[in-house]
Amino acid sequence: MGAPTMTRDNLGSSHAGTRDWMLQRVSGVALVVLLFLHFFVLHYATEGPVTYDKVMARLTSPAWKVIDITFVVFALYHAVNGFRAIIDDFVHRPLLKLILVGSLWVTATGFGVLGILTIATLTVAP
Amino acid sequence: MDAPVRRPIDRPTFLRRLSPGFIAFALHRLTGVLLGIYLFVHIWVVHHLSHGEAAFNDIMAVVQSPLFHVLEIGLLGAVLFHALNGVRVVFVEFGRLVAREVMGRTIFATLVLVAVLTLVGAVPFLRLAFGH
Repeated sequence: MGAPTMTRDNLGSSHAGTRDWMLQRVSGVALVVLLFLHFFVLHYATEGPVTYDKVMARLTSPAWKVIDITFVVFALYHAVNGFRAIIDDFVHRPLLKLILVGSLWVTATGFGVLGILTIATLTVAP
Repeated sequence: MDAPVRRPIDRPTFLRRLSPGFIAFALHRLTGVLLGIYLFVHIWVVHHLSHGEAAFNDIMAVVQSPLFHVLEIGLLGAVLFHALNGVRVVFVEFGRLVAREVMGRTIFATLVLVAVLTLVGAVPFLRLAFGH
């Protein structure tokens, strides 16, 4: 065998970002499963078009709330990590990078709160 | 094979950049950006559920027009490519798909599978768009 196996300890400065890299794979594989379920249930197992009653029937059940909140968190994390990878490729000035990645996280957190609150608080109207 | 050209900085030529690996990378990034933007819009559209049935139906009337049902086929294609190519990348990094001899073939297989699944999956969207 040639070069020794690269680990966190002998990667030099390139160890920075290995956690983001690994979490992008983990969240990606999870999203393949969650997104398949999401697409299948919405577009193939349910006859279209999408209506308020059909969506509420799912989103008022605790199991779907848990699945969809997990989905929102994983999807937003995966999206932020992907956008951040693009910023890393093209933006090299530290301050500009900080501003862009910072606003990315603020935006994603805002949409995350909006999504989670929507799912968590939905109840059938009295 | 041409003799290697010496350059001050070795920049790949445009044709070398159009290798299967680069095409897969570029498509993964393009679909990733589109899906990321879609995700934000999707959360904003669906949050109208919490404003009641009328508000939800008003916004859904916009995004369930025939044009949007056709665009959803593009969404399906983008999702399928990003998912299947992502799985391929995981097998490149953790499995045995990194070998030069199989790279081009697995990328081609990914694109064929995406095309077939998109065409099959398009049926309910086309029925909604054109009324049957």
